[in-house]
Amino acid sequence: MFRKVLIANRGEIAVRILRACREMGIPSVCVFSEVDRTALHIRLADEAYLIGPAPSRDSYLRIDKLIDVARRSGCDALHPGYGFLAENPALPRACADEGITFIGPSPETMETMGSKTAGKQLARRADVPTVPGTDEAIENPEDAQSLARTMGYPIVLKAVAGGGGKGMRVVPSDEAFASCWRDASSEALNAFGDARVFLEKYLDTPRHIEIQIFADAHGRVVSLGERECSVQRRHQKVIEEAPSTVVTPDLRRKMGDAAVRLARAGGYVNAGTVEFLVDARLNFYFLEVNTRLQVEHPVTEQVTGLDLVKLQIAIAAGHRLPFAWETITPRGHAMEVRIYAEDPDNNFFPCPGKIVARRIATGPGLRLDEGVYRGWTVPIEYDPLLSKLIAWGNSREETIARLRRALDEYTITGIRTNVGLFRRILAEPEFLSGQIHTKWLDRLLARPHPPVVPPRPGTEAAAAIAAAFWESIQPSSSASGSQTPQAAPSRWKQEGRRSQLDRQP
Amino acid sequence: MKFEVHLDSATGRTKHVVDLEKVGSSYKVSLDGQPVDADVILAAPNAVSVILNGTAFEIHIAPSLDGTYKLQTGAHEFQANIRDPRAWRERKQGPLEAEGRQQILAPMPGKVIRLLVNVGDEVDAGQGLVVVEAMKMQNEIRSPKKGKVERLEAKVGQPVNAGDVLAWVD
Repeated sequence: MFRKVLIANRGEIAVRILRACREMGIPSVCVFSEVDRTALHIRLADEAYLIGPAPSRDSYLRIDKLIDVARRSGCDALHPGYGFLAENPALPRACADEGITFIGPSPETMETMGSKTAGKQLARRADVPTVPGTDEAIENPEDAQSLARTMGYPIVLKAVAGGGGKGMRVVPSDEAFASCWRDASSEALNAFGDARVFLEKYLDTPRHIEIQIFADAHGRVVSLGERECSVQRRHQKVIEEAPSTVVTPDLRRKMGDAAVRLARAGGYVNAGTVEFLVDARLNFYFLEVNTRLQVEHPVTEQVTGLDLVKLQIAIAAGHRLPFAWETITPRGHAMEVRIYAEDPDNNFFPCPGKIVARRIATGPGLRLDEGVYRGWTVPIEYDPLLSKLIAWGNSREETIARLRRALDEYTITGIRTNVGLFRRILAEPEFLSGQIHTKWLDRLLARPHPPVVPPRPGTEAAAAIAAAFWESIQPSSSASGSQTPQAAPSRWKQEGRRSQLDRQP
Repeated sequence: MKFEVHLDSATGRTKHVVDLEKVGSSYKVSLDGQPVDADVILAAPNAVSVILNGTAFEIHIAPSLDGTYKLQTGAHEFQANIRDPRAWRERKQGPLEAEGRQQILAPMPGKVIRLLVNVGDEVDAGQGLVVVEAMKMQNEIRSPKKGKVERLEAKVGQPVNAGDVLAWVD
């Protein structure tokens, strides 16, 4: 096993990896930028090294500094987490040059499987379905139409020279083909001086379902089942769950087989995710491979009982996968929400700041993966992910009920979060019945929404009383309206007043 | 002590008068002139527990930079504007206005792109002082009171963090 592991990341994922190392008895080394001196991963670290100023390009993206820290601190392995350098082949190359084991796939695999076009070519060779289409221009409309018939409608015609939606037509049916073809090619000719078009299968409202794979260096490749990630806001995942409501055991085996074939074809080692688009008829099409640990890995952990980070470390150390794929079937249901410091009233703009107070969600069937704490100021320089709240239960219904309950418990005071968004989603009938696709959330958000739950009687009165009480215990409220964070009451005074109230803390 | 509490929420704006009278270690509470059965304590930092006629509420409170409070309980949020008895005496009516020397703080991280006043200028309450650009949106930072711009800390082009002092008005 490794002597010491460098964690080349920050935030909740650095904490996640640090915990895995600690459970395995492996010392770990954390790195931080100038604004992250007080970050949770540094507070929990065995060893910590400053790697530069706040901007990522001067700190967390500096391969030379990371390698220097690894060398100085005697690390023989490096975990990249996700984001930052996790999918940059230059990092595993630099590690290899220094004799440091990179916990992830080889740089060559990253290049062949990580790129969309190369990945698609590999998928075709491995007989993994890709979105059907011609890629090249079709000259003759009759040829195109017969191809469209074999692929099945709807299809989309796209200008070869195109872009920005110009020269593009969705063809809903065979009857519409001729007129769409005319429109697309004449628009393409006008816009680009080139009338040529090609065609592709049109996926109107696909689901995003991905397969978690694991491969060891001894030739064993397994699928750990799917994650349903269709709830997305502008292509960013918002809620992930496992299993998917539409994946049958048979489909799970087929998608798993395809993902494993692809991993074998690419010589994949360690953890990876094969993303698919799934249409209404449950046809699945390869989208891309993520050559790293995913943000949403905990939902797979909760339904498989595996610790994926520990597994990654063991495989990187040359161990064999300790189980056969056939033994992995999801148990129960798990769902993750990504809680961000975002202002829901301002188009979900990031709004970092100081966490004045908080109450965390605990109790049965809950897991909170996070890198924040009370009193910490969320820096503006990085992704504003605060916490991943994961619930699991025997059924999807129980899991959703737990998550709703947990969201009511989870309170962060001082900054705005997107928690209200999850309350809304978890109350939507379409979500509850699993009728979701990648455009579902954007359409939902385009509609006006009433408050999800009506307040209990007395809520407003209680709020008024609480506000008056709060004001009454503020020190020297010389003038209302002058309350600023700088003038915030001393915690010592507050504590003194609180204890004088002679109540349970 | 009597407080006039203005609450803004998704369902509109309301006004309540809360009277808190300390009796021993607890409070006698009346709401809009009517005595109510309410037990109110500070349960944790920034968390007030109210048991109102047996119904329990935990209300999380954070001061906003504009002098109001943000209240949150479960899925519900309120913005509270409070006038305490002293402020009340001095201003029976009219909009809320800050008193004394005021620091003008940046409410969000961003960049100062324009100064709208000079040191020494007389300004009205609500008059724009500085424009801060954040997330490609321009935000006018206003004076909380009528007075004179005493100091301008903000400089055009300067990046600021939330809570940085932009100006002083007295």
